[in-house]
Amino acid sequence: MQINILKRPWVSSLFFILIEISGLCYAQSPQTLSLYHRSLAATCANCHGTDGKGVVDGGMPLINNLSSQQMLEQLKAYKSGAREGTIMPQLAKGYSDEQLEVISVQLGKK
Amino acid sequence: MDRRQFISQGTAALGLLSGLSNPAHAHLQKAQILVIGGGYGGATAAKYLRLFSNNTAQVTLIEPNASFISCPLSNLVIGGSRTLADLTSPYDTLSKRHGIKIIQDSVISIDPDKRIVKLSSGKVLAYDKAVVSPGVSLLMDSIEGLASANKAGVTLQAWKAGPETVALHKQLAAMRDGGTYAISIPEAPYRCPPGPYERACQVASFFKQYKPKSKVIILDANQDVVSKGALFKKVWAEQYPGMVEYLPKYNVTAVDAKTKTIKFEIQDDIKADVLNLLPAMSAGEIAVKTGLANSNGRWVNVNFLNFESTAQKHIHVLGDSIQVAYAMPKSGHMANQHAKVAAAAIIAELSDWEVNPAPVLNNTCYSFVNATEVIHVASVHQYITAERTFKPVPGSGGVSPGPTTLEGVYAWGWAHNIWADTLG
Repeated sequence: MQINILKRPWVSSLFFILIEISGLCYAQSPQTLSLYHRSLAATCANCHGTDGKGVVDGGMPLINNLSSQQMLEQLKAYKSGAREGTIMPQLAKGYSDEQLEVISVQLGKK
Repeated sequence: MDRRQFISQGTAALGLLSGLSNPAHAHLQKAQILVIGGGYGGATAAKYLRLFSNNTAQVTLIEPNASFISCPLSNLVIGGSRTLADLTSPYDTLSKRHGIKIIQDSVISIDPDKRIVKLSSGKVLAYDKAVVSPGVSLLMDSIEGLASANKAGVTLQAWKAGPETVALHKQLAAMRDGGTYAISIPEAPYRCPPGPYERACQVASFFKQYKPKSKVIILDANQDVVSKGALFKKVWAEQYPGMVEYLPKYNVTAVDAKTKTIKFEIQDDIKADVLNLLPAMSAGEIAVKTGLANSNGRWVNVNFLNFESTAQKHIHVLGDSIQVAYAMPKSGHMANQHAKVAAAAIIAELSDWEVNPAPVLNNTCYSFVNATEVIHVASVHQYITAERTFKPVPGSGGVSPGPTTLEGVYAWGWAHNIWADTLG
């Protein structure tokens, strides 16, 4: 179930989508949502590169070789404590599961 | 539809819609966006305004310096293990790759009513949206005698990476073995909370290798170490025993350049051979001059959803100049994060879309405790709608268990990636 978002086909006729953020509902166009999603994923770019394309041999682990599914699994493992690390376990705990899913879809290998 | 569906739909739908005409886009394309200041905040904003608008927004970056010099990691230059060249990046990728117009000049005034900006060259530019990211001003007059002492080179700040950074290393290299380096820290908030303590480590690391009889004195106006306190104290005790002396609640009021004497509100005078006095700080000069500093006359209050100044419409302020939210550091990393929230909000506003009601920020600050070992502090800040501010997420963030060379590698990885994200 957790991985289904990465495979499920989307409904092309749907122009306005209700999203749930912080308990409030807003009507958003797909363009608006896309902008929100890009800006959320951009919070990762400081360390992992713009659009997840990190500097090769820069010293930071690269993430753009991961599929969205692999990325989400790893982010959730950092969040739960199943995977150890230096900074990522601390940062992953600050994002909601929905936000981690968005980030994985945005930055996973296309 | 469940929440998982909307995530994939929102992302995939962009491709379908990109070919459709959109009147709001015409409005966006006509808008003139001026970005004032090309540091971590401003340069990132310029780049992401282009990225988030799919290269349709017209963006001009105004920056007086010919190239970008990173403040983060500049303490390594003071410690002698790196040079300024290692921390310098060109601005021209922003124009070549992203189509940003770059003007090398200084802004001398902003007229928020007419929405125009005057440059020192005499040029006048109109804006629909201005992004102001001028960093900090050092309030030299807050310490008697500091302005003239600093002008004469007797004291140095080296808090804006550049010639003073190099000059400070030269003073340390020229100092006799057995001499004293003193750094003073103003009351928080100031730019880069762990920076002064990292600097003390770098100077101690240099002394340990080349001048082992010398001392480092930290004169802190704060009650205790402001960032990574336990970690820094452990490093001073274990790596630099007898060399680093930490003195809290030492508020510098004056300096005598002739005798190199530092005077305090309460305690007795202290003399040192190399004086690195950091005065209180405020928002960058242009922000104060424009009347944006409406928090104690020093910092700029912003609406955290779009980083628009609460004093003036259509002026968005980023980075060290703002009145920070609770537990939000004034860091280069944070300025880069502010910039992305602001850029997305500006693109949304100019497209007549609703601004993201739930932005997120994160922060990471690495500190070198010697030439290779590093400690970090990290945090995630979510927007709280009811309180209209960002707050750190309980249970997230934290510090390193102790210094490691692995984090030294990551610190350079952070640097290379944030420079590429900001300027590349």
